[in-house]
Amino acid sequence: MHRSGVQVLLLLTLVACSLAAAEPSARDLVEKVYYRPDGDDMQSRLTMTLIDSRGGTRVRGIRQFRKDFGEVEKTIMFFEKPADVRNTSFMNWSYAEVGRDDDQWIYLPALKKVKRISSDSKGDYFMGSDFTYDDLGERHPDDDFHTLLGREEAGGDSCFVVESVPVEDDYFYSKTVSWIVPDKWIVVKKEFYDEDGDLLKTLSVDDYQLIDGYWIVTRTTMHNVQRDHTTIMSLEDVRLDQGIPDSQFSERMMMRGL
Amino acid sequence: MELQPGLRAAAILLLAIFPEVAPGSLDVGGYVRQHTSLLTDGGEYAVVENAVCLTIGKSRGDVAFRIDPYVYQRPDEELDLGLRQAYVDVYWSSVDLRVGKQQIVWGKADGVFITDVVSPKDLRRFILPDFDEIRIGVDAVKLDYYRGDGTLEIVWVPVFVPTLLPEEDSIWARREEFPVEPTFDRSSERVEPSLENSEVFAKWALLSSAFDFEVMSGYAWDDDPTLHMQPELDPDTHEVVSVVVRPKHHRLSIAGASMSADLWGTVVRGEGAYYWGKFFGTENPLTGDGVLKRDYAHYLLGVDRTVFGVRFSVQFVQQVVLDYDDRLAVDERSNVLTVLAGDDFLHDTLHLELFSYIGVSDGDALVRPKMSYDLVDGFEILVGADVFIGDQGMFGDFDENDMVYAKVKYSF
Repeated sequence: MHRSGVQVLLLLTLVACSLAAAEPSARDLVEKVYYRPDGDDMQSRLTMTLIDSRGGTRVRGIRQFRKDFGEVEKTIMFFEKPADVRNTSFMNWSYAEVGRDDDQWIYLPALKKVKRISSDSKGDYFMGSDFTYDDLGERHPDDDFHTLLGREEAGGDSCFVVESVPVEDDYFYSKTVSWIVPDKWIVVKKEFYDEDGDLLKTLSVDDYQLIDGYWIVTRTTMHNVQRDHTTIMSLEDVRLDQGIPDSQFSERMMMRGL
Repeated sequence: MELQPGLRAAAILLLAIFPEVAPGSLDVGGYVRQHTSLLTDGGEYAVVENAVCLTIGKSRGDVAFRIDPYVYQRPDEELDLGLRQAYVDVYWSSVDLRVGKQQIVWGKADGVFITDVVSPKDLRRFILPDFDEIRIGVDAVKLDYYRGDGTLEIVWVPVFVPTLLPEEDSIWARREEFPVEPTFDRSSERVEPSLENSEVFAKWALLSSAFDFEVMSGYAWDDDPTLHMQPELDPDTHEVVSVVVRPKHHRLSIAGASMSADLWGTVVRGEGAYYWGKFFGTENPLTGDGVLKRDYAHYLLGVDRTVFGVRFSVQFVQQVVLDYDDRLAVDERSNVLTVLAGDDFLHDTLHLELFSYIGVSDGDALVRPKMSYDLVDGFEILVGADVFIGDQGMFGDFDENDMVYAKVKYSF
């Protein structure tokens, strides 16, 4: 081998090694989380325990179904607890197209009809919990500017720490900071800052499990530090890729219930 | 205890379909509610009522049943008990069949009945009770056929059920104006149950990502009786000396449509219907027999939007009588505005709401503020008021019926 050929080879090796050692970009990390495989469909039983500052608790029980239809992901929820909202159902169609609003409907058994509702209220709290409707969904990577802050230990894992600042000016969080577990691509901790830049809520993942080959978060705690109010959200009876029929996500099933 | 024949037949039917039905295996829910309301003018109680309303159901594979029994207890009255709904469902892959007493709700309007004409209304307390208590269940066969995002629904109501109107001595009875004290002849008021006298409705509904849409038609009876008048004139003065009023229901054909769509965070709703052959009362009993037959249209446009966390909903409703005649007692056009504002506080435990009907044509209104608090899950305390404003019109007629009320409700 010629001397110049050896130099080129060494240079390429160095470049390759340095690339391998370099930190991934914040955008890459967020995309890894967003596109983490979570099954073509999922059904589970969701329990939210709301704990106020005096320790008083309220419990909300929901049976939920989700299915990926490619360009649209459909979710249907059937409320089981408390008793005064039993048989209420909620359906959401979320689109992959950036900027396209979700379609949402609610069935109120007292009114006996399915009503289209505006998806403009993503900042509203879901059933009085500490989760907004937006917290429950997956935020598209294009919706924020992302910065890698470094690495830090969280929940026993060495995590990437990513700060995300919303692109839109009037979003209800000024920024969020996420602790991402490499390889599993799960956010195990997240901080939410209000419009004044003050810490509003912290989310911690208490448990995640490998179910049917997918990493699924099964227990999280959201603590509103400003109101000293906490919501524990736990998933049980999780089943993936069971082949939920398309017709499950329809007005017919909203009215029929479980 | 001896069961009524109808209840006994229903029980036999249920046991035949669900032989394992036992109290422990049923899905049972419902509520117990105490409701007291007080007239602000005079301090009399308008309502003192204890209610128990249940929902009992069971599904097994592709069949299910549901019964909604209720009991109302009011001072100095007999127990009011009955079944709000009692039906059996059968599900196939693309067809559902529901047979039995059922409440059927159509349309996109809130608090206004335009294409929502299948279930008649219980107006004994005007429109103040909750809507699931206003709608009367009808014995019906309902068939739904599903294809894609669309649903074709056909309803056959074999026995006509009219609107339940207030008793004559009720504070909610409308004072009809007659030239002299009338005599009522109710011999032709009842629509005899027969195949010929049944009602048929059809609806096609689409629920899609862009918009929701319904188109409907019905061959029905007018739920409200027409008051035909037979005056007797003094042969000398030609003045009315007596009037015989004969309430009678007439056939009514209806076609309509409704839609809703989310446009940039605002839900826009529309609903309209055309009614053929409605009999309207006249100012003068000597005109015909006090009524004239006209077509009319009834429609609304509404928007729902959340502004600074407060839910707002506004609807403009108009009724137009076609081929209008000045002798009619109703206006050619009557306009009503409904306004709703609501918000939730304290982690969804405190709810504030203000709902108003505003009679634009008559300058009257019904204003309904209310506040409820969930003391614990499923236990609600509710206080509110119903304020009637104006001197005339649908709401102004009840100007003396302003009331405040309190309810406690335990859901289980």
